[in-house]
Amino acid sequence: MKQKKRKQKNLIWIIIFILPVLILLTTFFVYPLISLVVTSLTEWDGISPMKFVGLRNYSDLFSNPIFRLSIKNNLIWAASAAFLQVPLALLIALVLRRKPAGWKFFRSAFFLPNIISLVALAMLWRAIYNPYYGILNGLLNVLGMEHLARHWLGELNTVLPSLIVSYQIYVGYFVIILFAGSLSISDTLYEASVIDGANVLQQELYITLPAMRGFIISSETLAVAFALRQFETTFLMTAGGPANATSVMALFMQKRLAAFQNGMAAATGVLLVILGIFVMKGLQTLFGMRSDAVEDAQQ
Amino acid sequence: MKKGLFVCILAVLLFVVMPAFAGGTEEAAGGEVTITWPTHWVGEQGTGPIVEKMVSEFNEANAGEIKVVLEAHPEADAAEEVIRTRLAARQTPDFFLFKLGPSTRGYYDSNLLLDLTDELKKDGWGASFNPGALGVSTINGKVKSLPMENALTPVWYNKSLFDKAGVAEFPKDMNAFWAAAEKLKAIGVVPTSQMTGGANAWTSMLWFTHFLGSYGGPNAWELGWDDPAFEKAAAIMKRLYTDGNTTLDAIGAGPGESSAHYMNERTAMFINGPWFVANIRQNAPAVYKETVLTSAPAAGDYSGHQVGWLLTSAAAANTDDPARKAAVLDFFRYITSPESSKRRSIETGSLIPVQFEINPEDNIDPLQQQFIQAGNNATFLIDGIEAVMPVNVVQEFGQALSSMVLQDLSPKEFIELMKAAGN
Repeated sequence: MKQKKRKQKNLIWIIIFILPVLILLTTFFVYPLISLVVTSLTEWDGISPMKFVGLRNYSDLFSNPIFRLSIKNNLIWAASAAFLQVPLALLIALVLRRKPAGWKFFRSAFFLPNIISLVALAMLWRAIYNPYYGILNGLLNVLGMEHLARHWLGELNTVLPSLIVSYQIYVGYFVIILFAGSLSISDTLYEASVIDGANVLQQELYITLPAMRGFIISSETLAVAFALRQFETTFLMTAGGPANATSVMALFMQKRLAAFQNGMAAATGVLLVILGIFVMKGLQTLFGMRSDAVEDAQQ
Repeated sequence: MKKGLFVCILAVLLFVVMPAFAGGTEEAAGGEVTITWPTHWVGEQGTGPIVEKMVSEFNEANAGEIKVVLEAHPEADAAEEVIRTRLAARQTPDFFLFKLGPSTRGYYDSNLLLDLTDELKKDGWGASFNPGALGVSTINGKVKSLPMENALTPVWYNKSLFDKAGVAEFPKDMNAFWAAAEKLKAIGVVPTSQMTGGANAWTSMLWFTHFLGSYGGPNAWELGWDDPAFEKAAAIMKRLYTDGNTTLDAIGAGPGESSAHYMNERTAMFINGPWFVANIRQNAPAVYKETVLTSAPAAGDYSGHQVGWLLTSAAAANTDDPARKAAVLDFFRYITSPESSKRRSIETGSLIPVQFEINPEDNIDPLQQQFIQAGNNATFLIDGIEAVMPVNVVQEFGQALSSMVLQDLSPKEFIELMKAAGN
């Protein structure tokens, strides 16, 4: 009887503590998601009443070459996050872990772009890539490589790589996560490895990386999630152009909204969520990640 | 224990309920009605200073009764998006500007906008507007927005650069135009400012429309994309983007870059409307003095026309509150009055579709006078793409144009891309 009462009391507390999260989750995620799915099945300009059109928005989307290109670009962004940004961050974090001269300065310097306005950074990169006064072409000219100078954001083969390169400025976010992770590894492991005759590369490969697995997976997950919802950099620097070459799903969705095609915008949103689920699942498979892997590694 | 439980429940309730009290409508104290106007007509350039001054004067004259609050959205496209989002959320701004076009005509079908039809019949308010512009603002016999600004977008050229290049007068036909372009290039000047960026590839869209008008005449847009006039105009655009006829950064450039090249004398020709007069007068006085306005060279059978349409309209939120309605109407009458319109026009160079008298002592800007003259001399006016095409087509213009140039598509393929955008 006493135990039953205690259980009931516990249940009340559990409900009290879960309730805010549940309400927030329902208000800001479940309800909008349901609303998104419902809107995606309609034709709606945002003003007139909604008109149910079934799956027409989805079939229109898949027959739209710009939308297909946007999916491809999103996947390229995700791949760049997974295979370029996080490995780069890892490399920097490993160097910083060795505490070379000025490591504190570099730690702050790498993180700095994350606290600067995205708009300001985008304008800065637009200036860097400018064919007339851009520092990149200027540098190439100084180095005697004038033949490589070009309109980086105005040519089909350079525009997307240029955006991706500019986005690496946010590498500091992952550097901080991975650096913090690397500090949690006990020094005794390294001392023992020195006695065993391990060199620096062996130490990183056989001690640091396995011990940081959880942090690496977390960083990869975050980086890919950020890449999938890529919008600001593309919108500010190229608005999806030229020739829609840099269009991504979020930008495609914004353009549909601007064109009063709310139903199609919602369908794009739904597909973006689905794509996100698939990519995350793929990432789990790639890393052979068990559901509790992150927790294990962090412990 | 019970006390603890009570505190927890209270905390949860506060946590959940508090956000509901955040923000909300601003209630003015003492019966003062606050009118919030989200707008891009703010800042230190263009229309901003005079509008801020007029609003401040209005607030002073109506102190304690009406207060107009300018909500700054310096970028025009962003301001438009704010308006659209609020309308979709049924939170119509008290007063706002928008572009009346095929995509926004739907605003009239809703009950969101204040119906001004009967009000315009009082005290000759309606008679003060240019009848043509007011006609465009009348849909199914209802007026729910008022014309605030007309677009007239002649070709601007730098007379000094033309003289230096040995081009005595602005080319009348395309052969002369291409010859003049070669002479300009020979002295290191890029012939035209172009752009594929921004929401509508503004400058290039206007060049295209000029040539479309020359091939298709006053009703060119009604001919439809399959008419040869469109393909021929596209062919000229392709050439304008090649052979050094425009700047290296034209692909992807926005209005800032496009106008900066003209103001820095990197380019000799440019297209924009009268609202840009204040900007060039302030930022490039030498170029401002050398600027001459003209019509585009004849490419087809028609010439001497201009691209012009109703660019900006103003509307207000529908309301059942008589005090609020009266306040909004007071401000509407004030901001669209002949006196305010004249002040705004003289200060910014804008062409305002309100009838007002110009006196000899009025200090009309010389470039603005050229605009008025260009409008008067035009053989006909052709609408800009924004006035006749839905937003999705307008958005695609710059992308299709850059596809034609970068992927070496034919003008016909460009037309196909534009048609696909409209489907």
